[in-house]
Amino acid sequence: MSQELTHWLDDLLEEIEGIKVRRKSSRRVRADVPADALPALLELLQGRAGYIHLSAISCVDWIEDDEFELVYHVWSYESHSLVSAHIRIAREPGVYLSVYDLYQPAGFFERDIHEMYGIHFEGSPNMEKFILTEWDGPPPMRKEFDSEAYVNEHLNWQEYNPPWLQELIAEGGGVIIPPEEQRFSRKKD
Amino acid sequence: MRPENYEAQRHPPSNEFELNFGPNHPGIEGNYALKVKLHGDVVVEAKADGGYLHRGFEKLMEQRLWIQNIALVPRICVPDPSPMEVCYAMAVEELCGLEVPQRAQWLRVMQLELSRIAAHLFTFGGHAATTGMYSTMYWGVADRDLILDLFEEFTGGRVYSIYNIPGGVRRELPDGFLQRISETLDYIESRLPDYDNLFFKNQVFVKRAKGTGVMSQEQALAWGVTGPNLRATGLAFDVRRDDPYLVYDQLDFEIPTEAHGDAWSRTLVRRLELVESIRILRQVVAALPDIAGPIRAPIPNPLAWNVPAGEVYTRVESSKGELCYFVVSDGGPKPYRVHVRGPSSMHAVQVLEKMSVGSRIEDIAQTMFSLDACPPEVDR
Repeated sequence: MSQELTHWLDDLLEEIEGIKVRRKSSRRVRADVPADALPALLELLQGRAGYIHLSAISCVDWIEDDEFELVYHVWSYESHSLVSAHIRIAREPGVYLSVYDLYQPAGFFERDIHEMYGIHFEGSPNMEKFILTEWDGPPPMRKEFDSEAYVNEHLNWQEYNPPWLQELIAEGGGVIIPPEEQRFSRKKD
Repeated sequence: MRPENYEAQRHPPSNEFELNFGPNHPGIEGNYALKVKLHGDVVVEAKADGGYLHRGFEKLMEQRLWIQNIALVPRICVPDPSPMEVCYAMAVEELCGLEVPQRAQWLRVMQLELSRIAAHLFTFGGHAATTGMYSTMYWGVADRDLILDLFEEFTGGRVYSIYNIPGGVRRELPDGFLQRISETLDYIESRLPDYDNLFFKNQVFVKRAKGTGVMSQEQALAWGVTGPNLRATGLAFDVRRDDPYLVYDQLDFEIPTEAHGDAWSRTLVRRLELVESIRILRQVVAALPDIAGPIRAPIPNPLAWNVPAGEVYTRVESSKGELCYFVVSDGGPKPYRVHVRGPSSMHAVQVLEKMSVGSRIEDIAQTMFSLDACPPEVDR
């Protein structure tokens, strides 16, 4: 990206109130904006700066701050640069606006985030379940959902000791590492 | 929704009926389903139904050490696993500020391009099978196996090579490997005319594929389509050239495009990409003997490795399109968040739903294979 274009983008972004722009590399820009300013920022980026490709929407659960972070990654086919717009929304009630009207790929990402984090996007075309069709527990990607605790509570551990393995051990073959000696198994804190 | 739990809806009498296309159907890539509503044999509505391959990778990765995740990521996309490793490793390297040695970067390019050839051959096979040409499928799978033999030799794994670690690659090349890779490339190149005669020039395929599953460039851009599917609409965009990573900016290669945006154009773009991948690999084979040095940068004790806090978005061009990882670290021994943006999450869901409408039931399989949809990377 040329120096001239860089300044042009910086000037453009300054039109948004409360924005903080950080240039991470020649092709990566991070912008932090207040949640209510994001649609205006995306409209500006898409309409006047050529960022027409929504690469992804990522969600991060900052449980200690009681906030969700939503990150909108938009790419420009003209200036070959990627702007990641970060916003924070309150964990409760976890509601935000859909950007489907601006970027159609948002439909998939918003549906996915709704399913995994329970955030509701107002105006999104489809908030139906897609991956976890038969799951009625809490949204599993939230930090408070402990998958190991869920398994211990709802499923029974079974010893796997089929006849062929017993024969193998009787012949002196096979290696069994008890769980407490497994180097990589996750220990409860 | 699993078929056994599916309750048929009662509709007023009409000529329309519903059909579950998948999840176990030879015309569906992987375990995936389309619920279609038909009027005669024309699709009037299609709904994608995923989740059959959901293994919870993103949650699992938050519970494992940075180094352990390397063994996990390739499993996200079964037919093209190598870009997953490289993209994740690049993210960790960027967070840690690790400089990857030149030789490791060239070795990674070699791995990625071999993987691209293997994935494309696999896709041709599947696509040909949807038009009833099973010979191409046998050929494609058999020739892909030669690439897997190479993978086995230089990484130790045929499909999931787990060759990368943050900082570089795990192994040096075996003796005489560059000679063997050249021989395999020569062989695959010599096979291309045979593939052309058997499949790409075959009127059974050409007549079925031309005009099937058409998307214009405006539609492709609006729907977020990337990779060969976007290039088939005439836009020469490739992450390898336009957002370069590794040593792709030092390599000489073309970006093939086609104009029509139909199943025929998409398949042709992949066929042309095989030639470019072979060209890239020849450059790598020629360059590698002169690039000496280590194959990985020193890293801290991987079992007690706290990656500095921060976030990073890395992209690579996989055989299916733009593959991205958004990785967040809170300074701890495990990732705080990893978001995998599989390229198929666009063209296997919303795009497939839109493109199926108006097509005939027998063209759905061909549309899906020509898009090269990969359900495991949608489900993750």
